[in-house]
Amino acid sequence: MAEEFLSEAAIKKNRSKHRIKVHSLQLSLAVFLLGSWQLLADHQILDPFFYGRPSGVMHQLGVWITHGTSIGSLWVNAWVTFYEATYGFLAGVILGIIFGVFLARNPTAAEIFAPYIKVSNSIPRVVLGSIFVLWLGLGSVSKVALAFVLVFFPVFFNAFQGTREADHKLIANAKLLGASKRQITLRVIFPSALSWITASMHVSFGFALIGAIVGEFLGAQRGLGLLIATAQGNFNPNGVYAAMLLIAIMALSAEWLITKMENRLLNWRPTQVSGSEL
Amino acid sequence: MNSGSPVKFENVSKRFRTPKGTWYQALAGLDFEIKAGEFVSLVGPTGCGKSTALTLLAGLEQPSIGSVKVNGSEVTEIDTSTGFVFQHDATFPWMNVYNNIAAGPKFRGVKDYDALVRTWIGKVGLTGFESNYPHQLSGGMKKRVALAQALINEPTLLLMDEPFSALDVQTRSIMTDELVTIWETTGSTVVFVTHDLEEAIALSDRVIVLTAGPAKVKADFKIDLVRPRKARDIRFTEEFLKIYQDIWSVLREEVDLAYQRQLVAPGKEN
Repeated sequence: MAEEFLSEAAIKKNRSKHRIKVHSLQLSLAVFLLGSWQLLADHQILDPFFYGRPSGVMHQLGVWITHGTSIGSLWVNAWVTFYEATYGFLAGVILGIIFGVFLARNPTAAEIFAPYIKVSNSIPRVVLGSIFVLWLGLGSVSKVALAFVLVFFPVFFNAFQGTREADHKLIANAKLLGASKRQITLRVIFPSALSWITASMHVSFGFALIGAIVGEFLGAQRGLGLLIATAQGNFNPNGVYAAMLLIAIMALSAEWLITKMENRLLNWRPTQVSGSEL
Repeated sequence: MNSGSPVKFENVSKRFRTPKGTWYQALAGLDFEIKAGEFVSLVGPTGCGKSTALTLLAGLEQPSIGSVKVNGSEVTEIDTSTGFVFQHDATFPWMNVYNNIAAGPKFRGVKDYDALVRTWIGKVGLTGFESNYPHQLSGGMKKRVALAQALINEPTLLLMDEPFSALDVQTRSIMTDELVTIWETTGSTVVFVTHDLEEAIALSDRVIVLTAGPAKVKADFKIDLVRPRKARDIRFTEEFLKIYQDIWSVLREEVDLAYQRQLVAPGKEN
């Protein structure tokens, strides 16, 4: 009897079977966890006054969406937090890359700035939030500033390291091929530092959200952080969870966008060994 | 521009600071000259300073003592009329084959490079692979990219640092053949560093044997084999074997010496 390789259709079928299995187990886990929370709360084993419950979270979201929140429309508040985080993120990424690449390309400048950078990096940056609120007021600018300082350093250090680790042979080759210093920075150094930079961008958007929300805790007129602080003050755990859910959706969407962009920019890299994603 | 010989080493010594803070001397009074259009190989034992000689010629490093002249003028900075093919892969991984080969003309601000780039892609046999990235190519194909990348700028001097050492033996002999064929159409002066004597003889007009490091010239052989050559077949001729024996008898002492030292000081590489 002749042995045969599995047909393409059979391989596909096996793969989709596996995916269905994984997804249905993921779903059952969610149902189990949320269901037990709901049941425990319904039977007063978990006090819903402190712990809330899933149905309460959904109800809270429904109320916010249809009637608005105590501090105005939900969408306006979500939008405020989103753009504070995004502006802080963009400013931090852009300046982080510029400073990182510049200092790595100019060793003397790097030597001069090194102690200052170390000192400013060692300050717990969330503390700066209070200063920014004092300096820049309760509006969005102070939150953007806090998000910015949280994003700047990781991006800066990665850009710096990525630039320093650019292959010297490639730089020598580019010089021999006639590249100017500027062309080397743009065409050789920047692309080779790019995988370092995008790696830092994944964590950075999370930092930017932290910056925006902590800034809003510390004093704001609008935003999801203020919404959480208000819910906390009113002993409304469902409100805290509902705002958390919105923040999580925001973070995941941003992560998805960053991954898309990374794949586009780094399409020259060998495809990563596929495996479970985390 | 061509006042003086294309390559001239005058009593060149070079030392480097090692990571431990001691000095390492790579070259000790290197002295030789190369005529225009000559294909010259530098052979010598591993770690003798052959590659250092090339980096001086390219202007990537400066000599500690003595002077290195290209076309009559001293090399003080990177000279873009020199082409360099590196030992290890130095193609840009984020550029596809086309853009890698077009890199030189683009950097130099040449307009209308498209036809030129396509000609070179054809010459090195990569037509159809224009949009592949280096990681999608075999070792031999990457070398072809590197070769076209250097030659497209029509360098008057081409430097090659053990370009084929990372290839398997069969690919290597094919590449040697193709290099001869391509070079014979360009007529540029070539300095080729290798520790493979067979490769050196098959390719060169002259073979310069260097001593175990710090390197100086030990012997200088003229290779009177006919051109155009078929590098793969010429290895089996009697003349070839005769030349091989002559050079090997000289090189061997240095190789033995270098090997003895390695046993004493393990892990010392150039």
